[in-house]
Amino acid sequence: MTQSSDVLGEVVGMLVEVVGEDFLLDTEIGPDTTFNDELALESIEFVALAEKLQDRYGGRVDFAAFIAGLGLDEIMNMTVGDLVRHIEARLQPAAV
Amino acid sequence: MSRGRRVQVPSLLGAMPSAFTQEPVRRADSGRRRFLFAVPPLAGHVNPTVAVAAELTRRGHRVAWVGHPPSLEGLLKPGSKVYPAEDPEFTAGLEQARRDWLSLRGPAALKFLWEEFIVPLGHAMMPGVEDAVERFRPDVIVSDQQVLAGPVAARLHDIPWATSATTSAEFTRPLAGMPLVEEWVREQIGDFQLDYDIDDLLDLRFSDHLVLIFSTGALIGDTSFFPDHFAFVGPALGRPPGSDFPWEWLEEDKPAVLVSLGTVNGEAGRRFFQIAAEAVRDMDVQAVFVTPPGTLPDPPPNLLVRGHVPQLELLPRMSAVITHGGHNTVCESLAHGLPLVVAPIRDDQPVIARQVTAAGAGLAVRFARVREQELQDALGEVLTDDRYRQAACRVRESFENAGGAVEAADRLEKMT
Repeated sequence: MTQSSDVLGEVVGMLVEVVGEDFLLDTEIGPDTTFNDELALESIEFVALAEKLQDRYGGRVDFAAFIAGLGLDEIMNMTVGDLVRHIEARLQPAAV
Repeated sequence: MSRGRRVQVPSLLGAMPSAFTQEPVRRADSGRRRFLFAVPPLAGHVNPTVAVAAELTRRGHRVAWVGHPPSLEGLLKPGSKVYPAEDPEFTAGLEQARRDWLSLRGPAALKFLWEEFIVPLGHAMMPGVEDAVERFRPDVIVSDQQVLAGPVAARLHDIPWATSATTSAEFTRPLAGMPLVEEWVREQIGDFQLDYDIDDLLDLRFSDHLVLIFSTGALIGDTSFFPDHFAFVGPALGRPPGSDFPWEWLEEDKPAVLVSLGTVNGEAGRRFFQIAAEAVRDMDVQAVFVTPPGTLPDPPPNLLVRGHVPQLELLPRMSAVITHGGHNTVCESLAHGLPLVVAPIRDDQPVIARQVTAAGAGLAVRFARVREQELQDALGEVLTDDRYRQAACRVRESFENAGGAVEAADRLEKMT
């Protein structure tokens, strides 16, 4: 539980940095927030997020491989929670 | 309809069919051939065909277009032959579709593009294209990459067909990192052919006779692995003559910047233009913004707002261009050796923006959330660091050597 909220908190923090706090005044980013519809993340911002994930989690979390496993609708509807769950799953074996 | 069948569409870089599986019959050579251009209702996709068609006409060939006549008006030379291919219901929904499109990004835009535009456009155009084939009797159909009816009609009537790729995004495999999405796109193309009882499926985005790409490896990146029937001919500049322009407004010794978001994004770009106006206000530049004057009610004195500009005549007077990354504006700018600041919005634009930055000919910035400082920094850098201009000039040189409309016409003549 603590780990879950840690990863969520970190990802939310990265998103706030990438997007800019002043653009998120009306948005509370949570597990159900969608990347496309709600955050409207642009390609340049996706790249910036991927870099931050790489810096924070290194090779254990491969954002590109995560995306590669998703279909069009899954990518369209991807939520912050989906990404957080993926990160947690990848961190699990190493963390124990 | 045969939707039940599922036959694999070969992937671009996988089992590419050999170039000349069906050798076209060479007729007694009167020299004169007939070329039919199948185009979507999108200005950027029509303009290059105008330049290629003009070159073919100059050589004595006959040309015609098939598409949505009102969209072609003003883009084609007066007197051009146009066969209508439209479906009233699809046309009626087109304006709404354009508006819906403006709210979409990334994968949602891709899904919309195929499900709400390319596939229904293909079906809507099919009867008109077949009718045009019957009446014009083309020797070659030159089909835009987004017009599925062109290659399907060509295949049904056993006519050689060429692809007109007015954006080069597909040649860097933008979906390589999303194999399931790439597969989904190929399924859309496969299903379309099955609907017309073609079950020997091809990837209709890439003709197996000739693919004309209006760019070169200098911008796209490595093109050496493409088969010979992929012709990287460089831009064929076919914009209609522009409107007038107050040339005296431009001062000789001051850098000038063109800011344009293309024909489709003018309205959605209101915020972008406002931020850009703030960004250039304190810079020692003159800026020409292409947007309806109402977008910027009170522009600073170093900024000129015009609803339309004669872009090709204006570019030689510019020092840099800020754009959303529409393929034509990017290539026209690079053809003039101008460095770019690209703020990609959707569709192929992020891919084109990456091409520009990888070529060293410009910088990419955000679109919807761009900040004044972000734009100022990027514009300042491409204007003052000469490496961007040098890279743009390298692309220009490669464009010049590629032959453009002349090379495209050579390749099309060789098809028959």
